[in-house]
Amino acid sequence: MNSYLPEYFKEFELIWESRDTYTIHLPKENPGKAGQFYMLSSPGIGEAPISVASGHLREMLFTIRSVGTVTSKLPDARVIGVRGPYGTSWPWERYGKILAVAGGIGIPPINSLFDEMVGTGRGKDLEIIYGARSPSDLIYHKQRKEWAKMANVIITVDKGDPNWKGNVGFVTQFISKSETDRDGAVFIIGPPLMMKNSVAESLEAGFRPENIYLSLERRMECGIGVCGHCNVGEFYACEDGPIFQYSAVKHLPELFL
Amino acid sequence: MNYILTDEDMKILFSRIKEEYDTYGTVEKEGDIVYEKVDGFESITFGRSRYAPKEFLIERNENVLNLPVQQKKAVFGVMSCDLKGFYVMDKQILGKDPFYTQRRQNTLFVNFPCNVECEGGFCSSFGGPLLDEFQIQVARDGDDFIVSASKEYEHLFDGFRKTGDEQIRKLRKNFLKNAKQLPVEGIENRIKWDSKLWKKYSSVCISCGACNYSCPTCYCFDLFDQDDGRIREWDSCILSGFTSTSAGNVRKELDERLRQRFYHKFVYYRKSQGEYLCTGCNRCTEDCPVDIDIKEVVTHDYSSE
Repeated sequence: MNSYLPEYFKEFELIWESRDTYTIHLPKENPGKAGQFYMLSSPGIGEAPISVASGHLREMLFTIRSVGTVTSKLPDARVIGVRGPYGTSWPWERYGKILAVAGGIGIPPINSLFDEMVGTGRGKDLEIIYGARSPSDLIYHKQRKEWAKMANVIITVDKGDPNWKGNVGFVTQFISKSETDRDGAVFIIGPPLMMKNSVAESLEAGFRPENIYLSLERRMECGIGVCGHCNVGEFYACEDGPIFQYSAVKHLPELFL
Repeated sequence: MNYILTDEDMKILFSRIKEEYDTYGTVEKEGDIVYEKVDGFESITFGRSRYAPKEFLIERNENVLNLPVQQKKAVFGVMSCDLKGFYVMDKQILGKDPFYTQRRQNTLFVNFPCNVECEGGFCSSFGGPLLDEFQIQVARDGDDFIVSASKEYEHLFDGFRKTGDEQIRKLRKNFLKNAKQLPVEGIENRIKWDSKLWKKYSSVCISCGACNYSCPTCYCFDLFDQDDGRIREWDSCILSGFTSTSAGNVRKELDERLRQRFYHKFVYYRKSQGEYLCTGCNRCTEDCPVDIDIKEVVTHDYSSE
């Protein structure tokens, strides 16, 4: 069995979410869980690790920002390859209440989390704080309405525009006001500085270090703990992560890089 | 089980192995010792190969979309330090990478422990050169070959004279008399994140990656598309692009990358796999164009900083 071989799809849907972000919908059930990732590829373009945006056993969705050498070319691809799922998932089943804090393109794995929690009737146990740089960077307009039906949802932007009537400020500002029970878990995903500050705010707000989870982004080329690029301390982000318990990794000097 | 073999017996052993495997060995070529296909035991030159035999299991460059059927290969003349590299790498990549795994399962390495420590080498700091883990290990005691076989290969030794552990113990003792055993144990606790060593090294390092390529335990590779293939190629954590992503670069500075290399070898791997990712072969130091010596990372007095 060659684990590097992707499954190829010629039929797939590509939906633009914003000027630089798109979703690829593959006609295949997702065996993975929220927080896990797949290696997406196209022949001649290359592979990139992408978190799954839909829940366990739903059809596969991948929401991708077009910024890298591979992700900027995938929208023009005629064939999409996929292999996985890889890595660890959000351990939501272990907790009563969950606060999810997502910055920017960190939001897809939270949509996946929502899918899974709603699927088991636990949507009301979730609270979501989602922030983006500007109103035009906010994605998932339809999904956000779905979340709001079940979960407490806070949307914020770093900088508003003349038409923006919602919250302005970093996601970190809203953590202390969270309705989530302090025995619950906090799932944090976004840029390194946002995660660092969100951890500090979560601790300040009374959440415990062992109940805080982070999704680490590193260069991942193989997805199976072999190529070495995603090494962070004694871990490989692709196999020991990408979801890490904060208390297990807080000693790593390179954690928030 | 251990056996005493004569030179003639070794030829018989070789031919028995040749019935099951394509046979390779160390031969002298243009002043270097290299691995080549060999047909008889007499063609083998004992000595240190110019490069570690890592390539038998991890090719420098190959298409991962095409997993070939693996030939059974036997490789004679492997240095113990290089052999140990495979056992150390196994802990992270065996069973995960299908290319490495299939080749590992189809390759018989026959290692020849040194009798005297080489200049620069420090294999005895990691349990070498008479190893506890091997497939077939051929120690030399005068004209005798003291051959140890792991269970899987016992059938090749029918009719040869069995022996105990005494000669192996004697050879080990003799080797250790003049060996430089470095204080490796506990280096993961002594080493310092902010040590001045990293900047000292980065001030001379030219980022060539030779240390990674020559290392019998460096397994990292790059994966990229080229023509019709997805190419896996040996990579180096010393090169600036190793950790760069569209979101930034975790190790922008050369001193950070050099520190990463030594931390991976002496701290991280020890914590994750219980072993140091180094076998004391000294190849990185020999091949370094600016004389960065890995031994200094072990012997440096961090407490004085």
